[in-house]
Amino acid sequence: MKNKQTLFNKLTNPKYIMVYATIGIFLIIYAFGAFVYGDKGFTTVRTFVNLFIDNAYFGISAVGMTMVLITGGIDLSVGAVASLTGMFIAYGTSVLGLHPLTCIAAALVMGVSLGLLMGWVIHYLNVPAFITTLTGMFFARGVCSLISRESIDIHHPFFDALASWKIYLMRYADGHWVRIKPIAFINFNVILFLVMIAIGTFILQKTRFGRNIYAIGGNEQSASLMGLPVGRTKVLVYGFNGLCSVLAGISYALYVKSGWNLSLQGGELEVITCAVIGGTLLTGGVGYMIGTLFGVLLKSIIPALITFNGNLLSWWGKIATGLLLLLFICIQRFVVTSSSGRK
Amino acid sequence: MKKKNFDLSGLMQSKVTWAVIAEALILLVCFLIRPDFFSISYQPSTGMLYGSLIDIVNRSAEITIIAMGMTLVIALGGTDLSVGALVAVAGAIALKFLRWDVLTYNTPGDYSVCPYILVLTVPLIVCALMGLFNGFLVAKGGIQPIIATLILMVCGRGVAQILTDGKQFTTGYSPFRIIGQGSFLYLPMPIIITIVVVIAVALFTRRTAFGAFVESVGVNASASRLSGIKADTVILIVFMITGLLSGIAGLIYSSRIMSNDSNNAGLNFEMDAILAVVIGGTNMAGGRFSLAGTVVGSLIIRTIVTFVYYFGIVAEATMAFKALIIAVVIVLQSEPVRKYFAKRATLKAARLGGQAA
Repeated sequence: MKNKQTLFNKLTNPKYIMVYATIGIFLIIYAFGAFVYGDKGFTTVRTFVNLFIDNAYFGISAVGMTMVLITGGIDLSVGAVASLTGMFIAYGTSVLGLHPLTCIAAALVMGVSLGLLMGWVIHYLNVPAFITTLTGMFFARGVCSLISRESIDIHHPFFDALASWKIYLMRYADGHWVRIKPIAFINFNVILFLVMIAIGTFILQKTRFGRNIYAIGGNEQSASLMGLPVGRTKVLVYGFNGLCSVLAGISYALYVKSGWNLSLQGGELEVITCAVIGGTLLTGGVGYMIGTLFGVLLKSIIPALITFNGNLLSWWGKIATGLLLLLFICIQRFVVTSSSGRK
Repeated sequence: MKKKNFDLSGLMQSKVTWAVIAEALILLVCFLIRPDFFSISYQPSTGMLYGSLIDIVNRSAEITIIAMGMTLVIALGGTDLSVGALVAVAGAIALKFLRWDVLTYNTPGDYSVCPYILVLTVPLIVCALMGLFNGFLVAKGGIQPIIATLILMVCGRGVAQILTDGKQFTTGYSPFRIIGQGSFLYLPMPIIITIVVVIAVALFTRRTAFGAFVESVGVNASASRLSGIKADTVILIVFMITGLLSGIAGLIYSSRIMSNDSNNAGLNFEMDAILAVVIGGTNMAGGRFSLAGTVVGSLIIRTIVTFVYYFGIVAEATMAFKALIIAVVIVLQSEPVRKYFAKRATLKAARLGGQAA
């Protein structure tokens, strides 16, 4: 009984308000969709799973972005690095005839070292994160265009197998397992997304490194006075974000099966939007992976609703996302003022 | 002798100096590779001067104009991400007014459906109001500028598309063509507009106390408020100016292509404008700003692009090239590096002083 009480206390901690707001609004919008488009199949498992399949690459990148934002930084290079990863795989397999895993390894080295380099410049040369990562974005985008201006298709047995690998969701009926109708499945991207969210949660909540991240975001000066390794943590966070960008790029390449130098343009801001909707504060120090997970779902449910409507211009999606952002900023503002008033 | 050395170290510490040196170096490389890079010729048929230098200034017009407002926003310690989207909105509204009848007449003719004055003023007013909305969120809502302006950045292009039903209009209205392609005093019109805007912003900030207010709010908003500066009003005005200037840039952009392009108009302008300001030596943390530095920064960015085109380097390399040069400039401007140079200069001065004694 006592244990249950503490769990309840833990869950009602005001620091989770933003996460609850995100989950609540997601449920409201989902209920709205179910009410209006329920007869068209909005409530099926397939629609829900498709939210993950269509946005896994944003989600994977959002894991790293959440950490960067919690340290009080920002990374604008993620879209370009993901795009460059796609180009590496496409050019490597289709033009150079390499194995996709070789290309992925090269991309990982590239992404992580670019991230570490940017982190180093940000911390040790004291250049604003915004400018440093903007330069990184220009650089990665430029290298993309140097590799090829045209979209390159990816054809490789291993890659095709990975892209089409899927687990069908089953249901137990009449003594044996059958595929649920309409058919729904989980692919490699979804698993990668969920694994990354799990790894992110573990790092943030259970490791010393994660606590350092929160400390730096709360107050960098205090953190360094307390003797925490500020520089190392920041550099590693940007390196980890580089890793997430590369994984997002792999996931996107699996999703579209091609590499294009202009793909994912503006993707960095979509990823930041996901994190902000998920309750991460850009001032640093506040943010949870579970919030980011629902932020991604919330952002992806809007295009789904517009598709189900069928009559609206897709541009309304952008406006709706903007309004959602406004709503969340107002809630955050309200929460921050009321909690600082309590102190 | 001693005094001169001291001045030099002060200059080396100034970020604007590094920007000017960088621009001079890039131009020098251009000159060494091809001496005719600097040649300017007169074209009697259009009454305009032609040449790479003119082209650099002409093509940097939109970024320079936006960066004027961005300088003030950054001096406040903020960033405005919505400027690119506002460029698209201004173009969409202007073309909507020029071609309201697009469903009935499909060939673009030399006419405007609405009075020309509406075509010019309404986009500017709407953009100024959108800027005011950003300012309201920042000043009254106390929201971080980067997030507050992210809203319009996400929404803005959607609004522009819906205003024009997702269509791309073209026009042939000649008074509208003048804004982006006309000439005045042998110079392309965008250059003239840029000069007017730069002078207007410079006069407004440096001939009145407004510039000092902006710097004061940028350093410490609460302290400024306590010393009697209306910080909220300053923030509102700065964001409104930036919105208005984005509108002007939008008109120039759409007049250059005589069309609206809600997808690509102003794409990445916010990034270029912020870079121009930072290269120009204004600190992103807020405080002192330099309008002259921003103009140089904007010219550097455009010179790099022109350099790449002019010397036949594959156009795709532009971005990577831009990144490398900007990285060098930023590293040179960074605090530890400047401190290192300052230290060396003082050491040298001390040594010289010692020798003299």
